Amino acid sequence: MLLHINPSSGVPIYLQIENQVKHYIASGALKPGNALPSVRQVAADLRINPNTVARAYQNLERDGVLQTVQGGRTYVAENPTGLLKAERIRRLLPHARQIAVEGTQLRLDPQEIIDLVRQELNSLEEAHERHGDLVRKAR
Amino acid sequence: MKDMAIWSEKLVKVYSQVRAVDELSLNVPRGGIYGFLGRNGAGKTSTIKILLGLTRPTAGQATVLGFHVGREQVAILERTAYVSENKSLYSNLTARELARFTRGFYPNWSDEAATKYARSFEIPMDRPFSKLSQGNRTKVFLLLALAQGADLLVFDEPATGLDPVGVDEFLRVLAQDVVSEGRTALISSHQLSDVEQVADHVGLIDHGRLLLEARLDDIKSQFRLIIAAGNALPQTKTAEVVSVTSEGNFCKYVVKQNADDFAAELRRQGATVTEVSPLGLREIFLELVRKEEVCTSGNVGGMAAAVSHSI
Repeated sequence: MLLHINPSSGVPIYLQIENQVKHYIASGALKPGNALPSVRQVAADLRINPNTVARAYQNLERDGVLQTVQGGRTYVAENPTGLLKAERIRRLLPHARQIAVEGTQLRLDPQEIIDLVRQELNSLEEAHERHGDLVRKAR
Repeated sequence: MKDMAIWSEKLVKVYSQVRAVDELSLNVPRGGIYGFLGRNGAGKTSTIKILLGLTRPTAGQATVLGFHVGREQVAILERTAYVSENKSLYSNLTARELARFTRGFYPNWSDEAATKYARSFEIPMDRPFSKLSQGNRTKVFLLLALAQGADLLVFDEPATGLDPVGVDEFLRVLAQDVVSEGRTALISSHQLSDVEQVADHVGLIDHGRLLLEARLDDIKSQFRLIIAAGNALPQTKTAEVVSVTSEGNFCKYVVKQNADDFAAELRRQGATVTEVSPLGLREIFLELVRKEEVCTSGNVGGMAAAVSHSI
């Protein structure tokens, strides 16, 4: 897993890690059951605080995205969306609101905003299919 | 406070009428990396000297690793490694000889660690200290501190003279060895980008006073730059609004917390909020230090502020 962080951006480092892991999973680059590098390894590779990496992993675990087995190894959870649908919607709501507000302030009309979101969903889906192909070819 | 690596309550240090440290109350948690930030002359080194017993505080009290500063100084020094701001030694000893000399003072000294860091920092171990470059002198001090097996490592401007490769190696060592082994590091620096990368807590001081102390991620999650356009925008600073800059119909706000509520309030008043964006540590630092200047020097302007810092 290749993580990239920008320490001087205003986005907390633990959030940058969470977002990248989620993106890798959403795009199929990481699959359920795949192992993640240890906290210590990620910290050493990126020259960041192990407490920060641990915080990202804990949050992802709490969200059901990752699971840690006995012995300390961390894996992509088999059922990453184990949360209740209502809870999942509640978590997405602030992002949806943000998109609505930003889009409106940039004077895009509603259809353009929705198209943009759909476009992103499509590209995730394409990435997912590409990774699927790779796996099939490898077999 | 026994559970803190460093704790202080209203520390004061007065040097001939200058309050170098002014009622400083610090909380440095164990098992992390604490970035102790401030510009030159802010009081960082004075604070460190008090904590390590190198100078007495004028008032206040402190503990280091649970031991009382002043009363239990030997216990503190046995468990603390210190790299001072001044990284010179009048010595013709080589790094290897310095390591052999230093190990005698520390029961937890590790020859294995010393060898490891000599290799990873690429230190010329058999050249006299006086013939080393500034960067290599700094590396020798880092090696001597890291190999002591101390519970607390205090680095005062650790990057002095180090090239980017040396800094990167130092950050790797902090990330990989120090915290993972449950040790605590305090890094005093004005190199914000290095600290921003590796610290989990930061304390920001200016004029000897603590302006901000919190988990770095929390600071970044809460501070926001808000730009709004409209008539009769609020111009006053509050506990939450750290700075206000206006230009024509536009206003730039730096908000410490609850930025979304503030933006919502602006919208309710009819303003157009054009931007709500996060800030890096450097920008937050500058905003807070600038705020302090306005508070302490009033309308006298930049000159007075600049003079008082150079003391």
